[in-house]
Parts: sequence; structure tokens; C-alpha cells
Amino acid sequence: MDMNEKPKVEEKEVQEMEVQKLPDTKEGRLVAELLEKAPYAEGSVRRERRIEFRVPKEEVKNFLRLASEKFEILLQITVVDWLKESEFEVIYQLWSVSENVHAMVRTRIPRDDPRLPTVMDIWPVAETYEREAHEFFGVIYEGNPRLGPFILEPKEYEKHPLRKDFNMLGYVKMVYGEDFDRYDESKTNYVI
Amino acid sequence: MSERNDDFITYELQEFKLFEPLFRWARKKSLWIVAFCTGCGGIEMPPLFTARYDIERFGMMPNPSPRMADLFLITGYVTPKTLKRIIITYEMIPDPKYIIAHGSCPINGGVYWDSYNVVKQLDKYIPIDVAIAGCMPRPEAVMDGIQEIMRKIESGEADGWKRYRENYEWYRKNQDELFGEGWRERDARRWLAWI
Ligand code: SF4
Repeated sequence: MDMNEKPKVEEKEVQEMEVQKLPDTKEGRLVAELLEKAPYAEGSVRRERRIEFRVPKEEVKNFLRLASEKFEILLQITVVDWLKESEFEVIYQLWSVSENVHAMVRTRIPRDDPRLPTVMDIWPVAETYEREAHEFFGVIYEGNPRLGPFILEPKEYEKHPLRKDFNMLGYVKMVYGEDFDRYDESKTNYVI
Repeated sequence: MSERNDDFITYELQEFKLFEPLFRWARKKSLWIVAFCTGCGGIEMPPLFTARYDIERFGMMPNPSPRMADLFLITGYVTPKTLKRIIITYEMIPDPKYIIAHGSCPINGGVYWDSYNVVKQLDKYIPIDVAIAGCMPRPEAVMDGIQEIMRKIESGEADGWKRYRENYEWYRKNQDELFGEGWRERDARRWLAWI
């Protein structure tokens, strides 16, 4: 009996906690409204005009479609490389013109097979951001027809240079030669 | 042969050797600049060309056509992608042509020296006549560099275009090492159908 009761109490507490956490401002109301439609997500208010969501990767497209009713502009797609956790964190930055609120939608994808559906059909501008994220981190956006070398040279593109395990100094040495003076791996401090 | 290679004018018109000092003076007083701002140093160009520093009093003029220019300002860091364009543009400028490199980035990579996409030593790929150190050089420093290149033109020391001709194999080898063999055919021909 005890074992059956305990989880219920905890669940209630958690729910209450979440409701308490959201302040009674337009940001809080926005978060609550979205979370009602998308119960799989977690949301919080960071500060005035900044809100944040965490979404599992399977639902990210549904969530963004829901969010796009309020958030008309996709500002940027950025990727954070969590090397130790072997994950990429993809962050969609949204801006709501009608509410003046900036939202970050975070999702985590595995590092060895980084795949996400494209959001070009929601915000056409996503094409450019996705190409950029693809080029620098190697995330594959399924459905984006123009993934490929875009800003980088083909040689750099193969390596995805903003990944944390990209050996920058080794690459520099390989490509530009070893005959420039300040390059020395054994140094701990470099003087510019 | 060496005598003929001595200077562009003597090479073309032997009998006008008498006027050589005049031509050098005229060249120094009418530098036209390819308007090709390649890095942060491009920010120095607007004050340099407008009323405050007013570089036109030296007879210099920004000019968007490489076919009618003498002076190529490389204003900052150079990535391999830009370098391809720089080389093609440089080769389109008629001789004699001069290069001023702004800032520490073209000299040795500057603050980007361990970055994967900044060329560390520009002088390996194209000949530089005057390098202005600093990050970024003030317009005064740029004007000092300009004075320097004027002095060098008049005394005949600004011979980058000659060095490029004579050591073309070496420059070409370095370029090919960086971009991969056949980059002119692959890339440049896409931009310029006639080369
Ligand atoms: S030297 Fe400084 S100002 Fe010039 S291109 Fe490099 S970083 Fe920019």
C-alpha cells in the first residue's frame, strides 16, 4: 500500500512545483500555454523576455510547429558539442514579434549519428542555419536539399572544424606548414 | 636580358629610358587601389578615404576594377577561400603592381594564428611590398605605409611584381600545396570563364 501511495504524492509535488515555478507574467503564461499543448517538453522562465524549453529529439519538430504560432521568427540554430556526454545540443532560438519574447528550444541528439528533421517547412530561413550547423558540426537535417560545403573549403568541410575533437593545431600544422615561428606544441603559453 | 628585365618601362620602350624617373614619379603619384577589403582592416578604409584622412590628396583612388589598378591593399586576415580570389585578382592587375598588407594577420596569422582557416604567411603565396604591423593599424599607420610604398616606388625597391614573375614556380607550388592541384581549373574558371 505504501509503495503505491508514495509515487502519487511525489507526482503531485512535482506538478505543484512546476506550476509554482512559472511566474504570473506574460512569459510564464506563454510557457504554460505551450506546455499544455506539448506535455513532453520542459519549460522555464529565465528572466524577463527569456524563456527556455527542453524537448526530446523525437518531438522537436512537433514542438517547433506548435511554437511557431506564437514565435514567428527563427533567429538562429546553434549547436553545442558536449564531448564527454557524447551528445550534441541543438538550440533553436525563436523570437516572438507579437509578444517580444525570446525562446530557446534545446534538444539533445547523439553525437555518433546526429540527425534531425529539417524545419524548413515551418521557417524557410532555417535552410541557411541548418547548412551552417551541418557544415561546422556534421548534424544531418533530413529533408534539407542543400546540405553540403557552403562556407568552408571542401578540405575543412570533411573535418567539421567546430567539433570539440577536431585537432586544430594538428590541422594547422598539416595545411599551412611548420615554418611559422610561434607554432610549438610544447609551449604552454602563447604570446600573440 | 637582365638589362631588359630591369624595369617595366625599359622592357617595353628601351629608348624612353631617359624618362624613367618621370614615369616612376608619376606612378607613385597616381596609385589606384583595387577596392577589395578582405578582413577587419577594411574598417580603416572609410575614414582613410573620407574627409578626415582624405587619401585622395596623395592621388590615390579606390577603384573597383583590377584591370585599372596599381595598388592592392590586403586589409587583414586571409582565408584560403579569399586567397584564391586574391591571387586571381592580383594576376589580373597589369604590371607594375604593388601590395600593401595591413595588420599582423597577413604577416604571421595574428590573433588567428592557430585557426584552421587563416593563412599564416601571406608572403608565401603572393609577394608583399609593404607590411604594416598592428592589430588593427590606425589610418595614420596605413598612411605611413603608403608613404613607404611611394618611397619604394620612386627608388625602384617595390619589386613584388618582378619577384612574382621570376619566382612564379615557387609561388605556384605553395599555392598548389594549399589549395590542391588544379584549383585554377576547378574554382577560378567557375568565376571567370575566360581563364
Ligand atoms: S591584424 Fe587584427 S585587425 Fe587586422 S585582420 Fe588581423 S585581427 Fe583583424
